[in-house]
Amino acid sequence: MQPIAPLDETLDRQGRTKAPWAQILSAIREIGNDELGRRTAALNRQMRLAAPLGSQLTRLYDPLPALLTAEDFAVLEDAVRQRANLLSQVLEDVYGPQTLLHRGQLPPALVYGDPYFLRPLHTLAPLPAPRLGLYAADVIRAPDGRFLLMRDHTGVIPGLGHALTLRRLTNGTLPELFRMGDLRSIRPAREMLIDHLQREAEGGLVALLSDGTVDKFDGFDDTLLARALGVLMIEHADLAARNGALHIKTLSGLLHVSTIIRGVSGIDLDPLEQGGRPGAGIPGSFGAIRAGVLSILNAPGSKLVESEALLPYLQELFEPLLGEPPWLQRADEHSLELASTAPFLGPDGTSIKAPHFLRLFAWHDGQDWQVLPGGLGLPLNAAGAPAGLGTKDLWVLDSEEPRMISGAQPAEPPEKVKFLAAAHLPSRLADNLFWLGRSVERLEAAVRLLLLAIPRLESGTSLPRDLAERALISRCLAQAGLLPADIAGTAISGRLLRQTLARRKPIAGLLKEVARLVDASAERLSPSMLATVRFALQQATEALPNEEAALSTLLSFTATFAGIAAENMSRDGGWLFLEMGRRLERGDALAETLAILLDGPVERLEPGMALGIELADSVLSYGLRHAGIMAPGPVLAMLLADMSNPRSLAYQCHALRACLERLGADDDAETAKQLLQDIVNLAGNGIALRATLSNAGARLRTLSDHVQRRFFTLLPAAHALEEDELLEAAQ
Amino acid sequence: MTLYRLNHATTYDYTEPVVIGTHFMHLLPRERPGQIVREAQLDIAPGPDNRRDEIDHFGNRTTSVSLTGAHKQFSVTLSATVEVNQPLPPHASQTPRWEAIAAWAQQEPEVVEFCLPSKLAAPGGGVADYAAVTFRPGRYILEALLELNQRIFTEMSYRPGVTNNFTTALHILHTRTGVCQDYAHFMLACLRALGLPGRYVSGYLRTLPPPGQEKRRGADQSHAWVSAWAGPDIGWVDFDPTNNLMATDEHVTLAWGRDFTDVSPLRGVILGGGRHILTVGVDLEPVLT
Repeated sequence: MQPIAPLDETLDRQGRTKAPWAQILSAIREIGNDELGRRTAALNRQMRLAAPLGSQLTRLYDPLPALLTAEDFAVLEDAVRQRANLLSQVLEDVYGPQTLLHRGQLPPALVYGDPYFLRPLHTLAPLPAPRLGLYAADVIRAPDGRFLLMRDHTGVIPGLGHALTLRRLTNGTLPELFRMGDLRSIRPAREMLIDHLQREAEGGLVALLSDGTVDKFDGFDDTLLARALGVLMIEHADLAARNGALHIKTLSGLLHVSTIIRGVSGIDLDPLEQGGRPGAGIPGSFGAIRAGVLSILNAPGSKLVESEALLPYLQELFEPLLGEPPWLQRADEHSLELASTAPFLGPDGTSIKAPHFLRLFAWHDGQDWQVLPGGLGLPLNAAGAPAGLGTKDLWVLDSEEPRMISGAQPAEPPEKVKFLAAAHLPSRLADNLFWLGRSVERLEAAVRLLLLAIPRLESGTSLPRDLAERALISRCLAQAGLLPADIAGTAISGRLLRQTLARRKPIAGLLKEVARLVDASAERLSPSMLATVRFALQQATEALPNEEAALSTLLSFTATFAGIAAENMSRDGGWLFLEMGRRLERGDALAETLAILLDGPVERLEPGMALGIELADSVLSYGLRHAGIMAPGPVLAMLLADMSNPRSLAYQCHALRACLERLGADDDAETAKQLLQDIVNLAGNGIALRATLSNAGARLRTLSDHVQRRFFTLLPAAHALEEDELLEAAQ
Repeated sequence: MTLYRLNHATTYDYTEPVVIGTHFMHLLPRERPGQIVREAQLDIAPGPDNRRDEIDHFGNRTTSVSLTGAHKQFSVTLSATVEVNQPLPPHASQTPRWEAIAAWAQQEPEVVEFCLPSKLAAPGGGVADYAAVTFRPGRYILEALLELNQRIFTEMSYRPGVTNNFTTALHILHTRTGVCQDYAHFMLACLRALGLPGRYVSGYLRTLPPPGQEKRRGADQSHAWVSAWAGPDIGWVDFDPTNNLMATDEHVTLAWGRDFTDVSPLRGVILGGGRHILTVGVDLEPVLT
């Protein structure tokens, strides 16, 4: 007897290459190994660019698809639907009447002893929404061609974001393959899912809850899923229970969140009822679920039916509950070893046949289970697939007959990106973007000041003009926090400045803050923007050990950042906050610096004016306009009132006013307008320069406080009432 | 039969205003064989903007409230009239052997849950050895339960303030010191080590003892004890190891669960509030015997 060998997915029963595979294999032969290797690398690079900053990416991607014929898919579709149906019924029973436990069809000790059985969600009446709304099954194909179940996913659904996204990217990587006939599109399914979610939410928000740390598939499946479904991505702390329902604070106020797609474990979701740390969950969420004002996909505790121990009993429930045998048998260890193989592309572009499994996804649309005509193909390491192979997109082919289509035809029309209203920007993100704007500007101002200061402090003469200039510079350095105030009063040398920089490392601190805020805002920066910023940030960080030498690299980082923000961000809520942060910081610093530089009788203002023009990067334009002759009139006009100079004080006020108006903050916009007029007047009369400028700085800081209170003021941190004190009451 | 008037007032005074308060309570007494709740009311001040009264997994009554107006005081007052009429258990020698109870429990979906370890009352680390001294092969369940109740009463020292709401039975095995909650958790761990079902019961003890008897520990406060299962015929029998009593007509049951975590009387998550002072007053007076 011949030993049983794993099925080769590319061959039919007679050992001939199946038609679609013949096409794929000939296409990749034509492309050649070197080119394939490069394209695989390109696909992986693209996926990394799509990831938020700081996420750990270990997953690799394979541009070759996994294939299912329409017949195979129909078989799996029925089986997946049947299984989801059963698991859903079991969950509804175990969390409801518990008939299965009373009849002994499920051992009560297994259910009650499982950490995923969440007692607070055991309810007398069923919840308004099914507890199981999303489902995934991992299947392999046995040597006889039948599919076998490896495992169920009923809690967090790993990889759904990838399953909805990967095709768009592979499409561009191997356009040659998309010439094949009748690849079933996943797009209608995705749109049905979106429609279903929005309909069920009945006007409430649909959001994806992610804590960014759970490494269930890889660091960014949640991000991909939120993008694919056009929903908000939120964290625990964004939510608060009020009036018994969950709300998120956004720029347009508190909004009711009615549906949460769960990217985090449900096990400790409600610290109020389960007694955990308040910040680690959403207090009141279980009550909201029971009251039907919140639905979670999947309901916390739904992972219960993934239990290994329950599996054999579940298999016996198909007949009694559904009146039919299970269409999918379970794979045992032996059958895993015989899982069918599919071609994968190795890192060098050669194709390797390795055992693999498929992950299929389904959701409940209120009537029935819908199975995604796609999914993922993954290397089965347990059956000896070598490390380093990638995740595949799963294709369902409607006809085996190849249909040649000339030219690369994109199988998927470009995605319609769902518009997320700026008003739905969570306050947390607006807050981060605002401070990102401020911190990048603060970094830039510090760098510019140091670039100006170091050579002058180094080589100045003892002529009165140079002395005056050095005194001004050291006051500016102190004002910017780059020198301690007590040193600043003395005649400071270049060496002293260098030593102070080396000891206190102020630039490193500023850059670290920028990096932190880029991380925190990552979900609002586009992939290409993120990649560019990340690259520039990395270069700046690498240059840092010598703060002085790093200055020019840092300046190029801030320039890159500003350029990207100007050219690559849509002018929506997110950008407005970044912009306001930047303008407030620049305006404040400029006002305070000019208050120092323009302090004194007019006849002694020359050194300060020259420094001001240089700091404002306006030497060239001033020179062109005024032949370099420093006179108070033109200098004040250029630094204060010139609306076409992006470094003038008036420009900052004007930009702020525009942002505030667009955000509907009319009273704050009026404040900015008043300030603008006062600045223009000051440039004209030059009266009480120092006091008026200091006052302008103070008014900008007040405005900043207003903006923060209006848009971000987050609630104070939650804390649990001391249980220890309750002990007194609990004896 | 004893008819009790029950009052339990809990007040939090905050040094700073609380902006949002969310509270989850097990503070309305449940019904049980031998206990009829004639009337029970939970008054909450300031008035919550959302209140839900529900029944939990164990059949206990829960109340969830949320308060969104700033407040510097939060108070919850339970007033109830409860009729207690616990039948006396049969003589110990007429009860089943404890091994039979352990075997039976596995067949009863309603009971088996209480044989399983829970966070604060899990067997392990020598608890089984402690229990085995009493639960020798073939002993009658009630006889052994009474002896275990007495041993724990005798071998533990009652001292408030040395344990908290996270103290486990295993810890108590080593320190043998604590309050009613710890006595109960320890006894539960002993039962579960033997595969016997045990419930944690939270409730109240009459404020003044019957004439001629000394004042009980845990009166004037919330109290806790153990309910043990003695087979389908006898059902659940309650033991109070803190006072070496069987709970008959001096105890009023509030709620039960696997351990304190399931029935914590009052939990809250508040925003703001600064520091707080907690005042608790319990009064359980017989009005008719």
